[in-house]
Amino acid sequence: MSGLPSHYGELVRELQRIASERLQPLNATFELTRRCNLGCRMCYVAMQASDAEEASRELSASSWLDIARQAREEGTLFLLLTGGEVFLRPDFFDIYDPLTTMGFVISLYTNATLCNSSVAERLADAPPHKIEVSLYGATAATYEGITGVRGSFERCRKGIEALLKHGVNVSLKATITRSNLRELPLMRELADQWGLPLSASWMLTGRTDGGPSDVDACRLTPEEAIRLESLDSAMLDEWRKGIQKAAPENFYCQAGKSAFVIDAAGRMHVCLDLPEPGILVPVHGFRKAWAGVVDYVHRAPGLSAECRDCDAVHYCAICPAWSSLEHGELSGSVRYLCSVAKERKKRYES
Amino acid sequence: MKRKESFLLQQVGDENLLVPIGAQVMDTNGIITLNATAAFIWEELADEKTAAELAAGLVERFDVGPDQAAADVRTFTGELRENGLLA
Repeated sequence: MSGLPSHYGELVRELQRIASERLQPLNATFELTRRCNLGCRMCYVAMQASDAEEASRELSASSWLDIARQAREEGTLFLLLTGGEVFLRPDFFDIYDPLTTMGFVISLYTNATLCNSSVAERLADAPPHKIEVSLYGATAATYEGITGVRGSFERCRKGIEALLKHGVNVSLKATITRSNLRELPLMRELADQWGLPLSASWMLTGRTDGGPSDVDACRLTPEEAIRLESLDSAMLDEWRKGIQKAAPENFYCQAGKSAFVIDAAGRMHVCLDLPEPGILVPVHGFRKAWAGVVDYVHRAPGLSAECRDCDAVHYCAICPAWSSLEHGELSGSVRYLCSVAKERKKRYES
Repeated sequence: MKRKESFLLQQVGDENLLVPIGAQVMDTNGIITLNATAAFIWEELADEKTAAELAAGLVERFDVGPDQAAADVRTFTGELRENGLLA
């Protein structure tokens, strides 16, 4: 009659399928702040922690809770809290604690550098279903070479250990750049010592506000990226499944079908990488904002002729968000993705 | 018997989902799926109910005989008790 499903992943996929069919906003991302206490060269968002003007634009705790209640009414179940760095907000727990009583399955992204013992203890009182901690290296030299903040590696390590001590469910997400790729085996060793799963992500996008970014210098070469990807059996399976499908019309993900993002100022967007259409939820209400996001995705153009005719299109992660970030249009090839797709095709067809 | 208040029943399409809230996430990290009769019993258990009352409710609401209803109630409430979901 009941029970924890033995195949939790399958259940979640089925829920995503049902929600997409019904255009139910099942998956929410609340970007509580765009400010961060680290200064990673490749970050798509980071504003400075001390940016008072940016802080003044952030929604209040009560506004977030009002939006959450509306989202819950409209069928949101999975809720991701992210930043910037969420623990920069002095009122984080004024938002978080009430959210834990509303029936969401909550995930939280953090760099863990602000997770001292009292934060970890407070989280353990009503833990999120998952905390994903970003990791930028296995040594202080490499980690801090990316974050630009002396002492941040040690604070991250202590933060992770505080969370573990209090029994909070943690996983690690290594953001891989050219400067820490060589340390990935050491990062895996570190994760093993903590008994934590570690995933490696290398798809770096430029800044969503159009500001200057070092992302080109940070990205792996296509050869490095595909060599790394081929070690990840789950990712390989996903690509092999995808290869058998028709090329996507526009968005191949859940954006605007069952997923949305609300940024720090309360604007609803398609995803973190595509800050459009930007409908202010506190002004227009959740239902109207969601309808606007659905409509935006529905109207988005399909693949460009160049992409449709490309023999590597089934191996490519091209989507309107990437096109928009690279050259301001929702359609059109992205040189980096082209190179990666051709490399992927070469490897998987050989 | 009565249910614990540390779960909320949510619906996605026809799927009935019990989502742990607050401190319960430490013990139940995931979602529990319920079929229609189990979801009905869960809702009924918001207030104190006996097994006989629950079975009578099932007979009234679903196309099920008294014996089957009693068996369903026994099975599901047994699962709830085993998993610590009863107050």
